[in-house]
Amino acid sequence: MTFAISQTNLRLLVDQLIQDGIFVVGPRRSGSMVLYEPLSKGEALTLDALPRRSAKELFFPVCEDILTYERVEGKMAVRDVDRAHYPETVLVGAPPCDAASPAILDSVFSWDYLDDFYLERRKKTTIIGMGCTRGDDACFCSAVGLAPDSVAGSDLFLTPLPGDEYACQVITEKGRSLTADYPGLFHEQSPVDPLPAPKQEMKQLNLERIKNWLDTHFDDPLWEKFADICAGCGACAFVCPACHCFDINDEGSSEKGTRRKHWDACGFGKFTNHASGHNPRDVQNKRYRNRIMHKFKYYNDKFGKTLCTGCGRCVRACPVGIDIAGILAEIDAK
Amino acid sequence: MTTINQNCYDSVTEAIRREAAKLLQEQTVAAVVGYVAGRRPGTASPAVAKSAEDAEKLVFSPACVNNLALFLSKAKKGIVPKGKTAIVAKGCDLRALAGLIGESQLNREDLVVIGVACAGVFSAAGERSLPLSDANIAAKCRECTIHTPEGVDVVAGTLPQLPDFDPVEAKELARLEAMTPQERWAFWKEHFSRCIRCMACRQICPFCYCEQCLCDRNRPQAVESSPRPAGNLAWHIVRAMHLAGRCAGCAECERSCPMDIPLNLLNRRMAQELKEQYQYEAGTTPQEKGPLNQYREDDDQSFIK
Amino acid sequence: MCDNGKNVYLPHLATIDAIVDETPDVRTLRLVFQDEATRESFAFRAGQFAEYSAFGAGESTFCIASAPTRKGYIECCFRSVGRVTEALRRLEVGEAIGVRGPYGNSFPIEEFYGKNLVFVAGGIALPPLRTVIWNCLDLREKFGEITIVYGARSEADLVYKRELAEWAERSDVRLVKCVDPGGNSPAWDGKVGFVPNVLEEAAPSAENTVALVCGPPIMIKFTLPVLERLGFSDDRIYTTLENRMKCGIGKCGRCNVGNVYVCKDGPVFTAAQVKAMPQEF
Repeated sequence: MTFAISQTNLRLLVDQLIQDGIFVVGPRRSGSMVLYEPLSKGEALTLDALPRRSAKELFFPVCEDILTYERVEGKMAVRDVDRAHYPETVLVGAPPCDAASPAILDSVFSWDYLDDFYLERRKKTTIIGMGCTRGDDACFCSAVGLAPDSVAGSDLFLTPLPGDEYACQVITEKGRSLTADYPGLFHEQSPVDPLPAPKQEMKQLNLERIKNWLDTHFDDPLWEKFADICAGCGACAFVCPACHCFDINDEGSSEKGTRRKHWDACGFGKFTNHASGHNPRDVQNKRYRNRIMHKFKYYNDKFGKTLCTGCGRCVRACPVGIDIAGILAEIDAK
Repeated sequence: MTTINQNCYDSVTEAIRREAAKLLQEQTVAAVVGYVAGRRPGTASPAVAKSAEDAEKLVFSPACVNNLALFLSKAKKGIVPKGKTAIVAKGCDLRALAGLIGESQLNREDLVVIGVACAGVFSAAGERSLPLSDANIAAKCRECTIHTPEGVDVVAGTLPQLPDFDPVEAKELARLEAMTPQERWAFWKEHFSRCIRCMACRQICPFCYCEQCLCDRNRPQAVESSPRPAGNLAWHIVRAMHLAGRCAGCAECERSCPMDIPLNLLNRRMAQELKEQYQYEAGTTPQEKGPLNQYREDDDQSFIK
Repeated sequence: MCDNGKNVYLPHLATIDAIVDETPDVRTLRLVFQDEATRESFAFRAGQFAEYSAFGAGESTFCIASAPTRKGYIECCFRSVGRVTEALRRLEVGEAIGVRGPYGNSFPIEEFYGKNLVFVAGGIALPPLRTVIWNCLDLREKFGEITIVYGARSEADLVYKRELAEWAERSDVRLVKCVDPGGNSPAWDGKVGFVPNVLEEAAPSAENTVALVCGPPIMIKFTLPVLERLGFSDDRIYTTLENRMKCGIGKCGRCNVGNVYVCKDGPVFTAAQVKAMPQEF
């Protein structure tokens, strides 16, 4: 027998979670696009398009306060941000390319120093991943070791079945406890074949071979070929589920204000610029090289993981048409 | 649905390849800035062709959305080899070239402009696997008045009979004009709230070549750098003002915005203002200096109280 | 490293206890932590750095320039070149700044016991070595000969002038100071020349010696071949890398040189380690 939930009950689950005080985030129509946004009712859940930005912002927001400061009676006082009140959260409807990313990012946010802003949200969030049936020609999750039906990173995984049903796989204790809390919404049914996953254009990449090439080709004319045309914006990094670079800035006066952590991107010319004017990555192709190196070599060297889930968002978003999947295929063929 | 005959793009491609190969072989130019096809069907990328062999890969299709003038601006210095350069330019791109020449960023003598007879390009959200039509053509192309560019060195291809398109952008502009200031404020506030400060709008703009952008300056911090409402609003206003009288309407900023902010509406509104106030239109001829870039003794001073 | 639930970006508050203007644009701040427990517990090693904040302007990265052997305070030394350093410069004695740290690795001072030390520094890069110099001088009997070669563009650009005088006085330190040609007054009692040349002329023995080098990239570039000629192998030459940083704790992603995170794996490296990195710093 297959453990399953119907489309209707999935939306009902969202409603009941919200009623029980859980913060529920999922893909929702927002103007011309779909974004991961807080849901106010299950009906709003939009499962027919890949959200424009990834789900990483649930744990690592575009911009967040990390402290406030104020001079009171001549004395500077610094106040921490209350993280204990982060709500219990359920992320629902994340495709494998988004569900997989937090588990990848855990490494950087918890090595040695613990980034409690990220980790506290992570601890309090249950991820309901969902098998993907809507890929396009920019998708390449299968090429980087995931798949449209990959359960990596999900606590509970829903596989679309014919007839508005989802097969429901419990992956972790968090997922088990979620199904246990709402037993009436799930049911047993005889096994059926899931809806077919989309066929991906990209063939599987040999990530080890790519890394081997990167290990020995820091200097190579290909970098200019790949990335001379890079315009130097942060669109690729900002829509990416795995890019995690950030900046820290004070906003306010010297008397009172807020220190904020917000997304940054290695493609920006100023990213590594020293106060003296010296810039170790002085031209654009070096910045782009860092992006590829970080994803497919450095992160692997440090944490044994690849910093890419193949969601294809950067491919779609790049204003000059730089195609990371094509670049990887070219390196793989070396 | 009105569909555009695709054959015209093939004839442009052929003409570009022929011209580029000739220019490179005869060493008239050091490079040709053009487009090559992307891996995915219906996509294309800017490319710098430096040999006759490279020239064979150049294409023109509805996927050739980029304004290549970007690659001749100071911001992209070093990408195009020194020497005379040929550039493939659609009518809308040509206006940016004229603007850059007017701002002394380029010399006309150093350029060979391969103007293309352009029937239109895809919109950012348009379906790229289908022929160009009413359904997937970029908003700017619906109101294009320069399908066949003038003042270029070579015109590549010929235009088919083009259908009349409904001017959606002009209509949207009119809708905004008809709003109360409060409604309009709410409209922009909503759009800017989505801005993530990826700076794609700035980086893709041929006129955003400042070595030190105001929004990167922090002594004093003119524009807050974090993606929050105050800084976002400030950035987009600064951007619109700095481009007023210069923006030639290629709408690359809007196309590049991953958050679908309709930036070209702002640009067009500013252009309209310039036309009404100064009877000036940016980028129509290279020699002109915009009214906001010059001082004349008979300038209207009445706003100084 | 830090307890679960703590905000790793939260600085300690420190009061500016003293200000010393080293040059017209280089300033030292002596800082005392406001919280007594932090004053007691704040421990660091020579070579580590911290994130210093001027509230309203943000954070900036400098080494801890005082010696770990001097308790009760820390010092930082900076040139006013940006938003934060200018704001730090506007602060007066008694005002508060934020300090996060100590971060990064340090000089393996215990491994230097029984060895001779050669310090080579240029301009504003003396502070990261000054912490080691005082650390070693405070444990003087543990080391052999100590040679300091320090130069700047001009006399005015030399930092820690009073300490240079103190080192010059000491019989257990060999101080060779220099300024670039044209940077000296008639009264100048040091050498005239560039640091690498002056070092070659001073010719400290490489026998049982480690060299510690900090300076602008151009100085480092010309100093390393000199040390090689003097007989120093790359694993006995130490330096620090000074990349742009924000978080200081291996998260924000900008200080890396190849897969080396300067904030976590550095800032102290041997010349051998630096040469093995991609040349992108």
